[in-house]
Parts: sequence; C-alpha cells; structure tokens
Amino acid sequence: MTTSDLHAPVRLLVIEDDQETADEIVSEFSEAGYEVRHAADGPQGLALAGGGNFDIIVMDRMLPGLDGLAILGALRQAQISTPVILMSALGDVDERVRGLKAGGDDYLTKPFVMAELGARIEALLRRPALSRETVLRVGALEMDLIERTVRRGAREIELLPREFKLLDYLMRRPGQVLTRAMLLENVWNYRFIAETNLVDVHVGKLRKKIDAPGEAPMIQSVRGSGFMLIANG
Amino acid sequence: MPPGAVLSLTRLPMFRLALLYSALFAFSTLVLFAFIYWQTAVVEIQRVDGQLLHDAQFLGNLKPSDLKDTIDNRVMPDFRRVAHAGLFGPDGARIAGNLPSLPDNLKFNGTVHRVNVPAAHLTIRAVGLPLPDGTRLVIGRNVESLDNLQTVVIHALELGLVPAVLLALGAGGLASQRTRKQLQKVHETAERIMKGDLRERLPTHGGGDDLDRLASSVNHMLDEIARLMDDMKSVGDNIAHDLRTPLTRVRARLERARESASTQEEWQVTVDRAIAGLDQALRLITALLRISEIEGGRRRAAFEMVALHQIASEIAELYEPIAEEKEVAFSLSLAEAPLIAGDRDLLSELISNLVDNALKFTPAGGRVRLSLETGPGGLILAVTDTGPGIPPELHEAVFQRFFRSDASRSIEGYGLGLSLVDAIAKLHGFTLEIGDNNPGCVFILRCCE
Repeated sequence: MTTSDLHAPVRLLVIEDDQETADEIVSEFSEAGYEVRHAADGPQGLALAGGGNFDIIVMDRMLPGLDGLAILGALRQAQISTPVILMSALGDVDERVRGLKAGGDDYLTKPFVMAELGARIEALLRRPALSRETVLRVGALEMDLIERTVRRGAREIELLPREFKLLDYLMRRPGQVLTRAMLLENVWNYRFIAETNLVDVHVGKLRKKIDAPGEAPMIQSVRGSGFMLIANG
Repeated sequence: MPPGAVLSLTRLPMFRLALLYSALFAFSTLVLFAFIYWQTAVVEIQRVDGQLLHDAQFLGNLKPSDLKDTIDNRVMPDFRRVAHAGLFGPDGARIAGNLPSLPDNLKFNGTVHRVNVPAAHLTIRAVGLPLPDGTRLVIGRNVESLDNLQTVVIHALELGLVPAVLLALGAGGLASQRTRKQLQKVHETAERIMKGDLRERLPTHGGGDDLDRLASSVNHMLDEIARLMDDMKSVGDNIAHDLRTPLTRVRARLERARESASTQEEWQVTVDRAIAGLDQALRLITALLRISEIEGGRRRAAFEMVALHQIASEIAELYEPIAEEKEVAFSLSLAEAPLIAGDRDLLSELISNLVDNALKFTPAGGRVRLSLETGPGGLILAVTDTGPGIPPELHEAVFQRFFRSDASRSIEGYGLGLSLVDAIAKLHGFTLEIGDNNPGCVFILRCCE
C-alpha cells in the first residue's frame, strides 16, 4: 500500500464501534504509513472529525450515541469537506443511496477485504480533478477524447467503445489500484458482485490491445485487489 | 387460560346473548301485561264507582218508607251477589239489605272506596250516605271480578312468559353448549399445534356456519404456514449444506497446511485458498440476505423512472466479452422504451442474471439474444438461448432458492440467481415466464406500463 504524499503521512480517522474491525483497520493503515486515529462512538467521532485535521474519514453507518449519517450531516453543515467512506453491515443495500445523499463520498458494505478499503481510500485521496484536457497521457499511452483515438507511442490502437470507456477510467487514475468492484461500479454502473470473472475478461481484452507482445506491460494485475495502469514505456 | 380448561357457560357470547334477550323479552312482557291490567282495572273501577254514586243519589232521595222496599227489591233478586246494599239504624243495626253489618272503615262522606265486610267475608267498593232521619245507607258492589282479572293476568304471565324465557334460555344454552364443545375442540387443537404439531387441523362439519368458516380459514392459514415451514426447512438445509462445503474445504486446507506447510509460499497459497473459500461462503450469505431484503419490499420506496433499454444495453456491453470468450453469438435488439418506475440497480441485476444464466448454459457455437420490445400490454424483455433448455415440469421449480437441475450441477453457481430474478420481478410487479426455444429456452419478462 502506498501513501499519496511522500512528505506528510495521510491522516486517517476511523469511527467504528466494533473493536475488532477498528483494530484491523488501524493496524492495516498504520503499517502502510498512515497516521490513524480511532473513535469508538459517534460523539467522540464527531468531536475529532470536527477539528478538520484529517485527510480522510472511514465511518461506520451505525454508531452508538450518534449515528453515522448524523455525523456526516453535521460535518457537511460545518463546511468540513473531508472525504468520508461509510461502512455498513450487510442487508441494508438501499442505505447506500442515503449515505451518498447525506454527503458520503463512497460506501462499502461489510464484510470487505482491506485491499478494497485501501483502494477506495487512495481513490478518494487522489480524486482526479475535473480537467478540461482533451488528451490524456500516461507514459507513452495517449488518448484523444475528442477524436476518440488511442495511441501507444507511434502505434495506433483500435478500441471498441466499451474498451475506450474502461481505458478512459484507468488513464485518469494511473498508478492507482482499482478493484473489480470499483470498476464495475464506476465504468459499468453495476453495483453488485458478479459471480463470473466479468471484469477480468474486460481488462484482459483491453490489455491485449494496449500491451502488444514485446512491449512493457502497462496494465498490471494487483494480487488480491484488482488492476493498475502504470506509466511503463 | 390453562390447557384444557372448561369454558364456563356464561362466558360464551351466545349464551350471554340468549340471557340478555330473555331478560328483555320478560321485561317487555311484564310491562305490557301490567299496562293491560292497570288500564282494565282503572276503567272498571271508574265505571263501578260512577254507578254506585248514581244509585246512592237515587236512593238517598227516596222517602224513607220507600227506601226499605226498594233496597230489598233491588238486591234480593241479584243472584250473582254483585250488588250490595244495606240500611242501618243510628245504632248500626241492620234495617234492610243484604249486608249483615256496617263495613269496617267506611266513611260516610259520599265518596266510593274499598271496604271490608268481615261478617260476610267480603271486600267491596262502597259508598256510605247518612240520611236525614239518622239512618245510614250503604251501597256497594263486589269487585271480585277485578281480582279475578289480576289472577288471570298473572296466570297468563305464568303460562306464556315463563316457558318462553325457559325455552329461550334452554335453546341458548344448547347452542352455547354446542359452540362451547366446538370451541373446546378448536382450543385443544390449537394447543396441540402450538406444541409443534403442524399437521393438526381444526375440526369442520361442512355446516358453513361462522365457526366452520373460521375454522376452514384457520386451516388454510395452517396449510400455508406448514408449506412455508417446509420451504424454510429445505432452504435452511440447503444453506447449511452449501455453507458447509466451502467451510469444510477451508478447514481441511488450513489443517493440512499446519501440518505440512514449511515455506512462506506454501502458507500464502493455503491462506489465499482459505480466503477464497470464505469469500464463497460470504457471497452465498450476501445473496440470501439480498433476496430476503428484496422480498421484504422495502426497496420499493426507492423507485424512480428508469429507461429499461438503457439498462439492458449497459448489461449487454458488460457481457459481450464473456460471450466472445465462450464463442457464443450474442445479439441485441432493443427498442427504445418508455420510462418505467423501478429500481435501476435491481433491474440491472435482474437482466444481468438472466444474461449470465443464458451464457452459462449455452455451449460454444450457440446463440444468446437479448431483446426489448413494446407490446400492447407493456414492455417485453426476453433473453433467448440455445442451451439445453428447461423441461416444462421444472419451469416453476427453477425460481426456488437453491434449485439446481441435475443438468446444471456441473456449472458453477449457487442456484440463487433465478430466485433473485424472481424476487426483483415480483417487487416491480412484473411477470416472468419461461418458454421453449427448441433448442434452449427463453425467459420472458413482462413489465406493465
């Protein structure tokens, strides 16, 4: 796991009442070099978050004392725009919509693997600015959004519309781990875990076109997490 | 109420009703009879009193010499001994008439009142009149007939009212007793059912009365509960089985690794596999929770207007590479459809499950087609494949949780996809049918506009 800024550690606030889950998250991200604080209930969480000294907040939806949505509302009311990832237990899927409406930036259903949370935290920290660029560049890879053409160096690459959409998403987030669930959600608008290897097939097809034989691979698989586009060659 | 307690008669509504009606009937009859009696008696007494006053006036105006004869002539021929008269001296000795002595408590003031004549064992209405010569005239009339009337009325009451009340109470009691027995049976049966014997049914006689209808409704409800319990049980068995398989594997792997793994790499492989096994178990639980969440219907609150053709085209895009990999020709024919109210995420899951299923079962070289058209009854979404098809007798069964046909057992899956599809369709009020594609099958989703 990498931090987004090498100079100052990322300050992460975890608001979670379940001690074991909290311990897992705290130790995982401390090891990855984050500066982690933990609050075990709502009021404490709000007090800490209200200071505004965090880069990102991971918060359980159901908390003793003050519920996650209430904290979120209070923060946004106070003009504190720290990105927030809400976590919630299985079974309340439509809570997701409410969580996002209340000002949450992402929503994760428990149980999840740490890599998923890590990837989502990174994604929020490095959220691409809305650019007016009409050409995206990662290494030798170049995407013209107007002409809808893609080249790697001198080589022209023909892409199907669906492949173009996927590469567009990858090129806006170079060097960033993107999980299968993130790709499904953001590229295809699909919010459920597919039983089949859907994403792998899509990425595989795209990879065949981007990484020609003999070229350094740009689309890499990250073990146990997902995929990453790197500026290789 | 303790088991088998005997319901007391008065606690039964039917008997209480009978009791109440009897009391009301008795009361109104009493009032009626009392009214009749009172009216008759008053009118009769007024008539008698009027006559007596008239007679007294007439006699009082006679000359004393005529009076004695007149009295004797008047009263002596009265064989019915209704009329009474007497002329008494100042000392109270009888001079004429059929009254042996002066009646007790007779006031000589010219008004008619009720007096006793002890010497004759009589009670009469009489008027006393003092005459100028010092003698006293008494004229009376026997009103025994009024007493008789009272007797008759009371007798009639006894004859009519008492049997009627007794009959009503008896009938009420009998009916209540029957109801009580029936209820007692129902109660006992309910006790047995509560103790867990769901095969028990309440007794019915086919009489079609209220209790019978209630009993058969309860029986229908019990049938449904028993069916649901069976479903739950088989679902429970299946969950247990489907969870045990991956968990047993995980356990075995971990155990083996503890004994034999020596390198870091071997450990990692084992742990990865264990995690994959646990993920499989978690996915199963997630799918089940989602089905029950959808069946709970809470998501209907989140409905918005969605374009089905757009969702279908997104799903098609998602599955195209899978079809290519499998060498299945995937074709698309989507008519632009009017917006419908629905849950976007769930509908995309529904379509993706149908497409996923079709691709799974269609062998290489086959065809899968996703189409959406607007028919007269609304939108029709169809997913057609050229796989092995589903025999008609299984068309219902495939929507049950954990159903896997023998043919599909070799293919990965939990047998939950189609139950999910079914639950989502029901949530939206859509109907889902399975048809034959010869070869293969077609899933047809009809959405009302």
